[in-house]
Amino acid sequence: MNCEVAHERIVLAAYGELADDQVHELDRHLITCNECREEREQLLALKTLASVHPVQEPNANLIARSRMRLEEALDALPPKRWYERWGDGILNNFARLQAAPVAAALLLVAGIGAGSLGGYEVAQAKTAHAAAGNRAAQAAVRQAAVTEAPSAAVANVSSIVQQPNSAMVEVRYNEVVPRQIEGTLEDPAIRQLLMMASEDANSAGIRDDSVGLLAAECRAGRGCNAAGIRDALMVALRYDRNVGVREKALRGLEPYVAEDMRVRDAVLESLLNDIDPHIRSEAISILEPVEADMTVRQVLSTVATSDRSPQIRNVSRQVLSRVPEIQ
Amino acid sequence: MAASRAINGSDRAQERLQARAPEMELIREAQKGSRAAFDALVRQYESQVLRLALHLTGSEHDAEDIYQEAFLKAFRYIGNFRFECSFYTWIYRIVTNLCLDQLRRRKTRKEDQAVLVDHSGDEIDLLASVSDVRSFSNPDRELDRKVLGERIQAALTKLTPRERMVFELKHYQGLRLRTIGEMLNTTEETAKNTLFRATKKLRTQLAGLR
Repeated sequence: MNCEVAHERIVLAAYGELADDQVHELDRHLITCNECREEREQLLALKTLASVHPVQEPNANLIARSRMRLEEALDALPPKRWYERWGDGILNNFARLQAAPVAAALLLVAGIGAGSLGGYEVAQAKTAHAAAGNRAAQAAVRQAAVTEAPSAAVANVSSIVQQPNSAMVEVRYNEVVPRQIEGTLEDPAIRQLLMMASEDANSAGIRDDSVGLLAAECRAGRGCNAAGIRDALMVALRYDRNVGVREKALRGLEPYVAEDMRVRDAVLESLLNDIDPHIRSEAISILEPVEADMTVRQVLSTVATSDRSPQIRNVSRQVLSRVPEIQ
Repeated sequence: MAASRAINGSDRAQERLQARAPEMELIREAQKGSRAAFDALVRQYESQVLRLALHLTGSEHDAEDIYQEAFLKAFRYIGNFRFECSFYTWIYRIVTNLCLDQLRRRKTRKEDQAVLVDHSGDEIDLLASVSDVRSFSNPDRELDRKVLGERIQAALTKLTPRERMVFELKHYQGLRLRTIGEMLNTTEETAKNTLFRATKKLRTQLAGLR
């Protein structure tokens, strides 16, 4: 081994990047080469020196400030339009298909073939009718643009076209069509809408109402085993910014803390991370049936020494002291 | 201090709990638009991002800016994440690029070169009065630790941004050279050569005058 190669391998060895056989070879070279031994000493000294400028853990204030600033920036972003989400979904699906090129190609060919045949027949039957219909629709749009303002709330504008050599402007837009549905909480459609509402970023009131209803169902033991409801409550407990919503979610999950490990984890996370002491205190009382669980005891031990609230630290210590150690 | 212990204690417990929530599920949910899932991903990586940015820039303010830009970019482009690499590598790729931009701006401005003044207002030549780098093997005995740290920072500013980044990721963050290559969109071999250059330059800067 020449010294130039040895110098590079000394660096790699110092950082644990050298293969074992090359380490052995290097060691044999260093036995006989004073210059390379000196090089190694210098490098180790550099490593010692560099450690005088240590990496520091970011403090809690920096993390909290950064997080809050990010949340404000994300809240200020406009929500994606339906066509943007649709486009993202198409691109994601296309990307997944790229991983199976043969199947993707066959699907594409089959799809194009079937679509062309069907489309040809439909188009033949409807051509004259469609042309007349389009002319009428465009005339109606132009007429409407001249004489009427949009009657329902406008969701977004999809295109703006100025007619050449004309003062006319054609605007295509989509409307929000308010709808209403009534039913009991056993109705799957109602439940689905309530779960969507529990994540409504715009209105704490809507989230509060929806989470309250879902939580009441869970506390009454009705239908909380249905897919998604318990998950919706756990998401609300973990991430909702409104303390009232998080409290309702916590109450709704209470009956399941013993049987469902995911619920237990969500409640333990609240105990560790929720900024509201009332929520953390409620979490301790809800964990009572599972006080002997090892993970629960570990979290209570952490809370007993490090929670910001003296009352919560006291309560944690009391809970730990009344449950014997797990054998 | 109490807050740091609280964060450390709760972080360990949080890690155990979050190990049960597969990251891929969170990413898929975030790609569908779930803000809650994205927030969970932020929490998993925010300390590492801040740790890296803080050590590289030496400034809490700059570290916050890098944090903000990195996660906003991640939010904007998470739809493009195709699971071809780990999310850890993907996020770090964004952060290292932002840090590189920051280092390049500083190099251009030249206002962050290590020129310190002592109590009487005279400039301190940090690289003078060093007889032998081996004397630093016992810094507590030889020199004040704070001044020594400043000397290291001064030497680090003499590296090119890429050399600085590779040295930071290898020496201070403990990453594998292969991972560093992926994060910097280059090969492991290039990362190795960059590390060699960086250590050579640092030794030259810190050897001083005999």
